[in-house]
Amino acid sequence: MIIEAHDLRKTFTAKRGRGKTEQVEAVRGIDLAVETGEIFAALGPNGAGKTTTVRMLATFTVPTSGSAKVAGYDVVSQAAKVRESIGYVSQAGGVDDNAPGLDSLILTARLAGMSLKQAKARADELLTTFSLSDIANREAKTLSGGQKRRFALAIGLVTRPPLVFLDEPTTGLDPQNRANLWDEVRKLRDEGTSVLLTTHYLDEADALCDRLVIIDNGKIVAEGTPGELKKEVAGDVVTLKLKGSDEAEDVLKAQPYIKEVRAEDGLLRAYLDDGEHGLPMMLRALEERNLTLESISLDRATLDDVFLKHTGRSLRDAA
Amino acid sequence: MLRHTLLFFDYEVKNLLRRPIWAVFGIIQPVMYLIFFAPLLRTTVPGGNMEQVLAMFTPGAMMMIALFGSLFAGFGMINETRNGVLERLAVSPAWRPGIVLGRVMKDMVALVVQATLVMLLALLLGLRITVPAFLLMLLLMAATGMFAASLSYGLALAIRDEMGVSQIVQFFALPLTLLAGLFLPVNLGPQWLQTVAKFNPLYYAVEAGRSLFRGDLGDSTVPVAFGLLIVLAAITLTWSMRSLRSLAG
Repeated sequence: MIIEAHDLRKTFTAKRGRGKTEQVEAVRGIDLAVETGEIFAALGPNGAGKTTTVRMLATFTVPTSGSAKVAGYDVVSQAAKVRESIGYVSQAGGVDDNAPGLDSLILTARLAGMSLKQAKARADELLTTFSLSDIANREAKTLSGGQKRRFALAIGLVTRPPLVFLDEPTTGLDPQNRANLWDEVRKLRDEGTSVLLTTHYLDEADALCDRLVIIDNGKIVAEGTPGELKKEVAGDVVTLKLKGSDEAEDVLKAQPYIKEVRAEDGLLRAYLDDGEHGLPMMLRALEERNLTLESISLDRATLDDVFLKHTGRSLRDAA
Repeated sequence: MLRHTLLFFDYEVKNLLRRPIWAVFGIIQPVMYLIFFAPLLRTTVPGGNMEQVLAMFTPGAMMMIALFGSLFAGFGMINETRNGVLERLAVSPAWRPGIVLGRVMKDMVALVVQATLVMLLALLLGLRITVPAFLLMLLLMAATGMFAASLSYGLALAIRDEMGVSQIVQFFALPLTLLAGLFLPVNLGPQWLQTVAKFNPLYYAVEAGRSLFRGDLGDSTVPVAFGLLIVLAAITLTWSMRSLRSLAG
């Protein structure tokens, strides 16, 4: 187990002017167990407490209560040991704009104890891996968002940490750069590095991670592999738009092959395991009651449906 | 610990050397004062020759670089509280005080180099000082730079807002300039002015500089200035490191 957290909590005291303060509970009791060598995701909307959780695990923020061990060391009492075992790529990236990326790489490696020669060799390795050799000596402020992200990742990996934290690693990247970064993260796992990443992209968690937790309002609302979580909801989802949706909701709820029906923004979402066979039966049932459809679609259930089930709202709206 | 400080110092110096033009800009102001203002000053001092005027005025002109240069050193760090650089360093094995110390060392070196250039110009204009006075003046500049830069990093880390820090520094720069006797010695003024000036650390630095330039190396103003600047630098350094620690909340 590379990360073990028990009932982590963080309460910030926010200033609200004129000496007034307000307690903000950013994280309200989180338990985590991340296995060595897996890609673990924390999925949730902005403000859910993902970043605060990662910052506590990475020893940046001290938890208000609860405990956590990272790479076998306590994040509070053995913070120095934890810092030797992790790479941390924050949401902001942490690449110094005024210096070439290569300088940041070498400085980070040397701070971790490498000699100049070792640091240069390791930097060269990473520059090749991330195709950054040609722009290694350019000041970081002249680089594109994708290039800077790659430098941020390279800096996080320069010490060969057994665990890397990636906080919203693909926010602001175009689809091509996102796909490339996903490949890099998978390669890390293949080399035995454990990864904890946060994201508010459903497809990212779905495509990339071995296991995930869904976080909302500072708490974990679901945990499992993407497959398990989706199965929990049902395999398929039929989304209908029609007049008289209250009556339709009752009709659909009465159908034995439909596991669950949810109404949302004038749409009905019916969850069922076998959509291909269920769809004609649903249509017949609605026809018998003379309910006229405006539109209908059949999709595989996504992690958004899992989020919807647990929080009562869609991640697309929450984010 | 020392290794980390030196690594940060080395990194910062490289950044500085990549844009040496800004350090040159930093001495334009004192250079202009020396060329355009010192001759003017000469006419107002009864029986004053250029050598005496320069011995009185050059220390003030040099302190100007500290006021308008080193006091703004923290600006770059404000951005680093946002772009994730300090966040990354805080969770790395880096020795945290080294993050500030390495930068302060860089600012001290920059200030000493700038001060050397200004003194060389003053020598060209007719200033006559001994080698020990020249070297002690550089040490005094280093101590001033250590204080001014630490104060600036402390402000930057505590306020974390460019607008706020620039307003505060600007607000204090003018009274500090006037009350240090940068242009004319404060002891020419009334008693109350001299009393107020005693609360300005820069006043002691300027007074010590004038003693050195008069060739009065053993004057009490010299150890007083060094002691005061070093104590104040230690306090502001501790403060900025504390602020660095509280970055995360």
